[in-house]
Amino acid sequence: MAAKTGFNFDNYQRNLFMEYGKGNNMKLPKATKTGTTIVGLMFKDGIVLGADTRATEGPIVADKNCEKIHYIAPNMYCCGAGTAADTEMTTALISSNIELHCLNTGREARVVTAMTMLKQLLFKYQGHIGAALILGGVDCTGPHLYTIYPHGSTDKLPYVTMGSGSLAAMAVFEAKYKKDLERQEAIDLVAEAIQAGIFNDMGSGSNVDVCVLTKGKVDYLRNYIKPNVRKEKEQVYKFNIGVTPVIKESIRNLVDVVDVNEMEIDQ
Amino acid sequence: MALAGEDFCIVAADTRQSDGYHINCRYAPKAHQLSDKTVIGTSGFYADGLNFVKKIKQRMEWYFHQHDKTMSTTAIAQLISIMLYQKRFFPYYVFCVIGGIDENGKGCVYSYDSVGNAERVQYQAAGSGNELLQPFLDSQIGLKNRSNENETLNLTEEMAIKIVKDAFSSVTERDIHTGDCVEIYIIRKDGVECQKYPLKRD
Amino acid sequence: MFLTRSEYDRGVNTFSPEGRLFQVEYAIEAIKMGSTAIGIQTSEGVILAVEKRITSTLLEPSSIEKILEIDSHVGCAMSGLNADARTMIDHARVQAQNHTFVYDEPIKIESITQAICDLALRFGEGAQGEESIMSRPFGVALLIAGCDENGPQLFHADPSGTFTKYQAKAIGSGSEGAQTELQENYHKSLTLKEAETLSLKVLKQVMEEKVNSVNVQLCSVTPNEGFHIYSEEEVNEIINTL
Repeated sequence: MAAKTGFNFDNYQRNLFMEYGKGNNMKLPKATKTGTTIVGLMFKDGIVLGADTRATEGPIVADKNCEKIHYIAPNMYCCGAGTAADTEMTTALISSNIELHCLNTGREARVVTAMTMLKQLLFKYQGHIGAALILGGVDCTGPHLYTIYPHGSTDKLPYVTMGSGSLAAMAVFEAKYKKDLERQEAIDLVAEAIQAGIFNDMGSGSNVDVCVLTKGKVDYLRNYIKPNVRKEKEQVYKFNIGVTPVIKESIRNLVDVVDVNEMEIDQ
Repeated sequence: MALAGEDFCIVAADTRQSDGYHINCRYAPKAHQLSDKTVIGTSGFYADGLNFVKKIKQRMEWYFHQHDKTMSTTAIAQLISIMLYQKRFFPYYVFCVIGGIDENGKGCVYSYDSVGNAERVQYQAAGSGNELLQPFLDSQIGLKNRSNENETLNLTEEMAIKIVKDAFSSVTERDIHTGDCVEIYIIRKDGVECQKYPLKRD
Repeated sequence: MFLTRSEYDRGVNTFSPEGRLFQVEYAIEAIKMGSTAIGIQTSEGVILAVEKRITSTLLEPSSIEKILEIDSHVGCAMSGLNADARTMIDHARVQAQNHTFVYDEPIKIESITQAICDLALRFGEGAQGEESIMSRPFGVALLIAGCDENGPQLFHADPSGTFTKYQAKAIGSGSEGAQTELQENYHKSLTLKEAETLSLKVLKQVMEEKVNSVNVQLCSVTPNEGFHIYSEEEVNEIINTL
């Protein structure tokens, strides 16, 4: 037996094959993305978050009515754009940690705490967790609105947008945002921004979700507007029974049925 | 997409023109009438498509002056194949289908790849929604995978239009590049009619 | 006659003061010395007939080809300088094949005739100053017979690049007599069979030798069969009915 020392080149060929940009581009499996429009703004009494409901896989619509506004804590919600699994898992993880934090401290968590936890997690993964988030909430220090980028940088702004429809939505905010909007004005503006994304960005679509966070109260307005209800089809495409051809039939006995006489059962 | 009936033919295309996630135009026609018997549908690189159609029309004009007759659908079909292959090593980024009435008055559809491979078919979907559309046409027009094999489809014009409308509204649901409006060209032996229907705009 | 033509017949691109192109006229003259060729169009098809001049008993008659196929639906008879005709027919064949390749349909008879006549004018330099490919006009006239969507047709093309559609036409040395004869005997309801006989009857009248299956060549172009050259036996059969 040869001594097991030195380098092992077993995987050299494989790794070469997997390397990018050298002719042999092995494609990594595609993840579902929420090519998305998400927005948030501050108004007089708190925060309004908004999101569209389309999830895409490349050019295909994977989910026509998904939820992109995630729960973090009773006073905090978080919109997610990017890789669907990443946004979902990240917010769920932080939600758990915030809950533990609340129990440990015996207080309601602050938005800045959740934001710090999120940015530290994302920074640790150096952008490999594809989550672009808008975090909004109201705590003892007042309402807060943050954006968190996949690499871990954050912003604190009065009105924010993210995702592939962010430019379309921001165009609306830049045109119409004012300080200290009334509650309904704020909701309308958010809905308008999301619809700008829905109609002008192909990664976004379907319905508008809205979440209003005020001191001590959260209103989650799921499917607040449905601007894209499908019209009825011209025809019914029902297949008659027996239309699918039976190519092969095979029945197997997975269990042997044995007759047992009652006497034996009694014993 | 295009489909052929016994004595008619339909060519339909949506009118969205996009780049990445961005919509450049909600009404950019991809289907063009070439003659009163032939309509072409293009997809791929829009500018190439427009230019290609322009060149076909030019060649048809020359043909008309040289031979004193309008090109037949089969002649156009062959011409397109050759025009595409002439650019074999720098192809037009165009996937086209043509639909029309042939010399015998029957509906016909020809489909192409970008370098000129041509095939006469009964129905064809091309472009971004083609993976979604083709199986639907296979099922509803080709009657594929059905045990009742002697079943024949007597495709009427009304049925065909309904199928086309449903096909486009369904593809719009799941393909992000398809939407805004669909133009349906109906080619009959006495001429071409174009109908427009709105699609979802998201 | 030629003395009056001074030096205006030197260049092929020079008009005489009377507005004539002598070189072209000489070329037309050359045809009048050629063997006679006849074309007759009927509703069933077109007949082409030519005389072969067997100038020597040692000559192999089958080597004289004065009727040629351009495409399966077009044939052509010639009179004049046969070698020139080959150039034109080669060109016509390429055009016909190219048309089928590009458009997946047979070329029209008028179009192929036009293509031949385009070539006939290429002796001068081009409008954009391109080099000419021929130094002189072609010295041959052609009878082009074929069938397309417009039915059986007969065209006559001459060295000036002019082409004309005919119901019946004779070219070559015996053309004057033959044309008169055709004019007298032609009628619209002529059958193909009658046209066969008529063509040989006319040839017989204008030829110096006695007509036989060796010194004439006959072909038909019909919508169903296309181009067909008659065998010696088939020619004999017709001769026997004369």
